[in-house]
Amino acid sequence: MSKSRPVYAPFGLDPAGRAHLVVTSLDAPPEGIEDSLANIEAWTVKHNGPGVPAPAVAGVRPFRSTTELLAQLSHRLTRETAGLRLYAVGSEAFIWDAYNAAIAAGLHPSEISLHRAGPLVRRVYCSHCRTIIEDVPANIVACSSCEAALFVRDHFSRRLAAFMGVKVDAEVPGEIPEAEVFTS
Amino acid sequence: MKLSLKPQETFRDDYTFSNSDEAILRFPFPFPEDNYMYSVNMEPHVRGGASPVFNAVFDIDEHYIGDMADRAITLEQDPLRCQVLPHMEEAEWDTLELIMENLANDYPEHFSLAKNGDEWHWINRPLEIDQKFTFGRAETLPYGPFEYITRQTQGDFSLQDQRDNNLFMDGGMVTSQADWSLNFDIGMSFHEWHGPVPLAHESGVFDRALQYLLRLQYGKPVRRLNWTMTANPRLDTSPENYPLWGPEKAEITPENVGHRMCLRVELQSLYRLPRSNAILFSIRGYLIRLEELAKVKKWAIRMHRVMRDLHPKIIDYKGQSRYRQHVVDYFAPHDDGRVLNPGIAAEQDSI
Amino acid sequence: MKLKIEVIDTLTPGIRKFTLAPVDGSPLPRAGAGSHVVLEIPGPGRVWKNAYSITSAAEAPAYEIMVRRVEKSRGGSAWLHDHAKAGDVLEVQPPQNLFAPQRLAKRYLLLSAGIGITPFLSYLKLPGLVYELHHCCKPEDEAAFLALLPSGPQVTLHTSRNTLNLEELLKRQKLDTHLSVCGPESFMDVVLATASHAGWPAAKVHKESFGGATGGEPFVARLRRSGVTVTVGREESLLDAMEAAGLAPPCLCRGGACGECKLHVLDGVPAHHDHYLSEAERAANNEIMICVSRAKTPELVLDF
Repeated sequence: MSKSRPVYAPFGLDPAGRAHLVVTSLDAPPEGIEDSLANIEAWTVKHNGPGVPAPAVAGVRPFRSTTELLAQLSHRLTRETAGLRLYAVGSEAFIWDAYNAAIAAGLHPSEISLHRAGPLVRRVYCSHCRTIIEDVPANIVACSSCEAALFVRDHFSRRLAAFMGVKVDAEVPGEIPEAEVFTS
Repeated sequence: MKLSLKPQETFRDDYTFSNSDEAILRFPFPFPEDNYMYSVNMEPHVRGGASPVFNAVFDIDEHYIGDMADRAITLEQDPLRCQVLPHMEEAEWDTLELIMENLANDYPEHFSLAKNGDEWHWINRPLEIDQKFTFGRAETLPYGPFEYITRQTQGDFSLQDQRDNNLFMDGGMVTSQADWSLNFDIGMSFHEWHGPVPLAHESGVFDRALQYLLRLQYGKPVRRLNWTMTANPRLDTSPENYPLWGPEKAEITPENVGHRMCLRVELQSLYRLPRSNAILFSIRGYLIRLEELAKVKKWAIRMHRVMRDLHPKIIDYKGQSRYRQHVVDYFAPHDDGRVLNPGIAAEQDSI
Repeated sequence: MKLKIEVIDTLTPGIRKFTLAPVDGSPLPRAGAGSHVVLEIPGPGRVWKNAYSITSAAEAPAYEIMVRRVEKSRGGSAWLHDHAKAGDVLEVQPPQNLFAPQRLAKRYLLLSAGIGITPFLSYLKLPGLVYELHHCCKPEDEAAFLALLPSGPQVTLHTSRNTLNLEELLKRQKLDTHLSVCGPESFMDVVLATASHAGWPAAKVHKESFGGATGGEPFVARLRRSGVTVTVGREESLLDAMEAAGLAPPCLCRGGACGECKLHVLDGVPAHHDHYLSEAERAANNEIMICVSRAKTPELVLDF
């Protein structure tokens, strides 16, 4: 992690792990994992029509939502034994939600590997009213609750899985700079 | 130590805060040279040294009662200004013991601590507290032990767990901070919570500071001074309430900068805690209005030079872009170009 | 600080327990679980500085330590067994803690052998600790160790290798468990290797490392700035030799773990035995931890 804005490595399995669980918010696991080490399981997000779960096939198990996946993840990790490595692939918000579920289950950060995929949007925490705003594409966003125009700092909290938003025009209300789209 | 306490004082709304001449002269001026750059600058936290605020382990001053009343208001409005993660309970008791023992030892006219095994009796005369409790049993206190004692000690505090060759901020009492959020930062590692500070990362200051602190020994605390500026003597300059105090910065004019603008100095001290092996970080803030500071000739001149030559990134990070020129202009008339002695001492005995 | 030996108990022929109390009745600095103290043990013409885990609880009014008489002792433990008596006063450095429990671990697997039990004795005094302890000892010492440990399914003594199935034990631990190991180097090496093979990440495996100073071939160290040359004997460390020569290099843990005693190498090739330097730093051979490391070349020149 560089200062407090996380930096991500490319996806790869840890050869020191005895078993591997890959969870992703996408509808398919990362390329090529079927061919590598044995003892891998992948969880994806996909459904077969409204509300209908898709079947698990060849070590790939789909869930109907990230919420369902994360709840199952917590339950699974409390039953797992030493040597497991967890990999989370997907949006920044999802991968850190998976991270926090793993930490709560007692994993150490070195057993967890995070890889970001998808649009460059951020989850933002409003410092003033504590509201979480999802999928923010640029560094100025209006808080959906208290309406403050928030500047999104590069300061990231793993615990909240969000970036810090602070009122950009607190000193002179109305003086709001141009927003810049996120490039990282 | 003889100390007379102001019965009340406000750090918000009407801002009745002011420093007596005695308080001005004992102020921990942070600039030993005519220019400023970040450094690790830690020294042993022993009694005495360059400033009178170093004479006690936890310094109490004339603002004690008003300071603690202001903390109580902030906590009433936002209880999340004090949080301790569950695994830090031993560190809470370490903190309570350290502070109670030292306050009672340094200020016997204000604080007393009597122990009978685990049955302790704590008296805090200025705040009219008389508390009997069992050390180690949190249910015998009105708050958790860390919150209980930090509600009675000036300055903010954070608790750091040492693990993985790193320090993690796993608890804190933060009601007088220079613009950082405990609720956001709790759980962060040393480099993470220092993330927003510019320049220092490149020069490796934080790497060296971390290595130094990981080897901090019990019984050998360390300290350093840090500084910022605040428009009005406001303690709660939190991100949470920035919409409240932000506009006050924009209201600074050349006419009111002397009265309203304050230099805020943090005496940061760090203590290894014995049972938990955690580190207690005390961030003891001192406020002084610029017009009070200007009464010390050496400090007025040095302020002019430091503020005039401050690195742009530091100006920006410390949020001073809007009014820095007013500050420079305010002190300029005091600067007669003389050579100043290095060091932070006031070099005068009276105002 | 000066501490007096209040009580000496012989637990086994090779292990003695010492209770150390303040000479003047003033309160002792508190020692949290995992702490150790360094005793300065007087010998003929020199002082040995040996580190021992504190087995007593943080609230105890005196420190308890246990000392194994090392067979090829450099002197310190032999003196404590053969000459020390109740009432003797020793210079003791204040406690340090380089082996504190992991506050985030929900559960502990503790593995120890012989005198390696000592840091865990202080851990077991923490209220609410959730753990499984496996301790290996000689059959003749079993009774003595049993007397030190709580009874219950969480404690198992092994008097032969056959009853401890390390691989199975390590594989079946849940993910919220941390592993701590303390004992002879060879024992710890086997545990660490088995854990790594079972997929345990290094960050969840903790070993006590302060007792690790080993001897080796004699060599010469030239301290350039001091203008002093020392010969490091077979049974002493470079740090010991420098101190015997009247020098006072910085040091803290005396076990190669903390980084305090690092010196710059100006010439010669060090033999690294520490736990502090990175792979890259070891390969560069510009630094040496003088408390445990030695030399590959007959001479080292150091910047001190």
